[in-house]
Amino acid sequence: MLTPEQSVVAAILLCLAGAALTLLTSRSKAAAGWLAFAVTAGSAALILPAVWQVLARGPAQPARFFPLPAVGFALRIYVDGLTSLFLLLAVLVAVPASLYSIRYLEHYADYSVARYYPYFLLFLAAMFGLLSTTDMMWFFFIFWQLMTLPGYALIRFEHKNPANIRAANKFLVMMEIACAATMVGAELLAVTGAAATGGATLKYDFDTVSANLPAMLVTRPAATAVAFGLFLVGFGIKMGMWPFGQIWLPDAHPAAPSPVSAMLSGVMIKTGVYGLIRYFLWLVPAGAQADFPLANWGWLIAILGTITLFTGTMQALKQEQSKRLLAFHSIGQIGYILLGAGACLALLPAAGPAGAFHALAALALFGALFHVLNHGLFKALLFLNAGSLLHATGTQDLDKMGGLMKFMPLTAITCLVASFSISGVPLFNGFASKWSIYVATIQGAGGAKYLPVCGVIAILTSALTLASFIKFYGVSFLCRSSALVKEQAARHGRLEVGGLMQVPQVFLAAVCVLLGLVPALAFQLIGAALNASRQGFGTTLADAMTATSGSLTGLEAANNTARFAPLVLAIVLGLMFAVVRFVSKLGGARRRADAPWLCGYAREAECHRYVAHNFYGEIKRYFRWLGGTPRTRPGRQPGLKEH
Amino acid sequence: MKLLGPIFGGVFNVAVVLLVAPFCEGLLRKLTARIQSRQGPPVWQAYFDLLKLLGKEDIEAGESPFMQRVAVYLSLATVLTIACLVPMGFPAPMNNAGDALLLIYLLTLAGVGTLLAGLAAGSTFSLLGISREMMTMIALEPLFAIAIVVGAIHAGSFRLDTVLHGAVYGGGSAWSGMVMLAVLLLSFQAFVQRVPFDIPEAETEIMEGPLMEYSGPKLALFKWAQMAKLVIYSALFVGLFLPWGNELIFPLGWLVFWAKVFALVLLVTLVAATHARYRIDQAIRYFAGLLAVALVALILASYGF
Repeated sequence: MLTPEQSVVAAILLCLAGAALTLLTSRSKAAAGWLAFAVTAGSAALILPAVWQVLARGPAQPARFFPLPAVGFALRIYVDGLTSLFLLLAVLVAVPASLYSIRYLEHYADYSVARYYPYFLLFLAAMFGLLSTTDMMWFFFIFWQLMTLPGYALIRFEHKNPANIRAANKFLVMMEIACAATMVGAELLAVTGAAATGGATLKYDFDTVSANLPAMLVTRPAATAVAFGLFLVGFGIKMGMWPFGQIWLPDAHPAAPSPVSAMLSGVMIKTGVYGLIRYFLWLVPAGAQADFPLANWGWLIAILGTITLFTGTMQALKQEQSKRLLAFHSIGQIGYILLGAGACLALLPAAGPAGAFHALAALALFGALFHVLNHGLFKALLFLNAGSLLHATGTQDLDKMGGLMKFMPLTAITCLVASFSISGVPLFNGFASKWSIYVATIQGAGGAKYLPVCGVIAILTSALTLASFIKFYGVSFLCRSSALVKEQAARHGRLEVGGLMQVPQVFLAAVCVLLGLVPALAFQLIGAALNASRQGFGTTLADAMTATSGSLTGLEAANNTARFAPLVLAIVLGLMFAVVRFVSKLGGARRRADAPWLCGYAREAECHRYVAHNFYGEIKRYFRWLGGTPRTRPGRQPGLKEH
Repeated sequence: MKLLGPIFGGVFNVAVVLLVAPFCEGLLRKLTARIQSRQGPPVWQAYFDLLKLLGKEDIEAGESPFMQRVAVYLSLATVLTIACLVPMGFPAPMNNAGDALLLIYLLTLAGVGTLLAGLAAGSTFSLLGISREMMTMIALEPLFAIAIVVGAIHAGSFRLDTVLHGAVYGGGSAWSGMVMLAVLLLSFQAFVQRVPFDIPEAETEIMEGPLMEYSGPKLALFKWAQMAKLVIYSALFVGLFLPWGNELIFPLGWLVFWAKVFALVLLVTLVAATHARYRIDQAIRYFAGLLAVALVALILASYGF
């Protein structure tokens, strides 16, 4: 039986070996694809038992691998609850993405998979490493670069389009800035920390820095603040926080092949969230709380989160390219996660009746971590859906799509699930996590007066998200068939993607529905994760969590002042559906299909279709100053006015 | 035994909403006609309309009839589910299964049914209508949400029975509650989709927008959902802002409650009959102004006023 740490190292080595093997077999697209899938599934088979072991039985000890005494460092790996949660997300997304890649890559006639699968596996290995290393400097650097460079290669996979190369270059530059910021921050903490307490071996290790921090907070508060500010910038760039996210993220996600977009948005940007939570909440020992300006950092992160979620979503509302729209929504959804994390930081030090705000702080963190999981699942699914649309129609342009539900029913259903999930429709997973964040921010009014305003802006933004996805879903799957769709359908006969591309979509949709109906599962998972990572404020938060959850009774938080029982709601809604259906049949009306009434015109021309560009003209006009407005492309018919 | 009360209450609420809603609509139409010096249809006309529509031919003009059916069922089913979450003369039946946050999202979901229906029909007027409907929802949802949140902050709870029992007036003084009362009074026509804010339907302009392609039982269900929304939003308004008298013993409290709901319906009628429709951009500017005021009320509430 391997320890969790050994499993993770084995998974990393397996992925590295797999990268070499897929390079050798890249002559055959199918062989390389199946091999990459097998390696990803193998690494998942190593990771999942490790995650189970940590969550069920608590973490083992940090373990050292490949020691190099000459230069004084070793790969120190530690898998605690927080790490396990993110590792779980990584394999949950990576396995469907790699399965989806097999068929998806076949439509790239001009590009070799030798520049896809090896990088995909390196990218995955780097994420495993980055999530589990405790070294804040050298191995952090190695894994960060191992993630950035293959990421760069994957984004510029379609290198014959110069726009993709520009997007990849932006990604590379921003990631290097983020890397530098984070490393300088670590250096500040490690060196000044070591100076404050005397030298130590492994001075860049997480535990050493953590041990030195209380002394340093007293003697060098300014240097510590600068270090944490740099962490916020570094991880903020990675996760796409406003204003950094807008620079690279909306270009990088659409440029990459769809399964890679799913990995970028579903998992890679979450490593930034992981870093932020790990450094702000786990690094500072709970005893040093008095010296650490938690409330101020919480204020900053919650406000940044609120700005991020509003700007990202409002800019997404303006998009007319499928994957670009989804990319802006990644920024928006990261805003929710940041708001949850910020609320947690802000509420921890709030004075009040013993532990009242600790429970809300824990609820905010639960919401943030749950939203990390949910966003990973539904956004990966949405990118796979967008990939299927691209596969079927050959375009990302929403203006040219329409009526695809008739041709791709299964993709349409899974995309509806994902769209409802991200919009926070009750009974889907996005609602449960947003609900936790709202309860924490609004009930936290007594602890931090600005939080309810942030919460209400988040509720408002949720309506914007719904608007954006009504447009995305409506103009691609519903509405009337566009000329392009009719032409493609006539040429290919069948537009729906094959079974190998459907299985990952159906799997992710099923998980979204499951977590939506039984959010207690995720709550218990996150609860176990916090229990298995008792360090810093993690201990306080694990002990303070009072929200109860049961599969039947649903969620109940803040002393039973907020509750949500999705299964009961599902039963009632289902009954009402049956009643309504019964009533509609009472009159015995006959059904007939007929053409729509075109107000006297004989036929509907392509230029008369109401397309994505036409939606929400007034709102888009009022928020033009917020940026993100797509450039008008050549070829758009003039004279289509906004209404 | 613990389940019996909520089940009975839920069935009762659903039945009452389904039966009373057309009466309110009939009353509204009759009164509108009288105000505008017309004779108007009989008060029972809305029932006859529904019965007639249920038997008429159901023409499906969209390319995905499956979505058209789901959308229409979703629309009325969600409204009826909300009826189980709202106290109507006695405690909310599903008080233990959801809270006020769920209520905000379910009210949005009730609109999603209409949106999906319009998209599935796919004609240009439908899409124009749903674009307007969605913009109105974006502007309105936060107003209602802030009213709920103000109540939740004062009461320290999201429980339906607490929030929908005049909780907005809690706290040190009733200032934030009074401001929210004014805001919701000024936007109430829009929540129940009546003139001057019936911009998404706008019969004389875009021919009922999202519902343009619908006929027969589907149209009946949409109309029914719209009538039920008038009752449900009135009930929510009563719960949020006018809770007095609801705690009287059973028939009395119940009668007081419905008297208040009818009074609100009369108010809606009066405003609707004497105003002309706004353009969508005018309406959004108006809602944006209200939203700014509501945010001030929210800040007041978090400082305990």
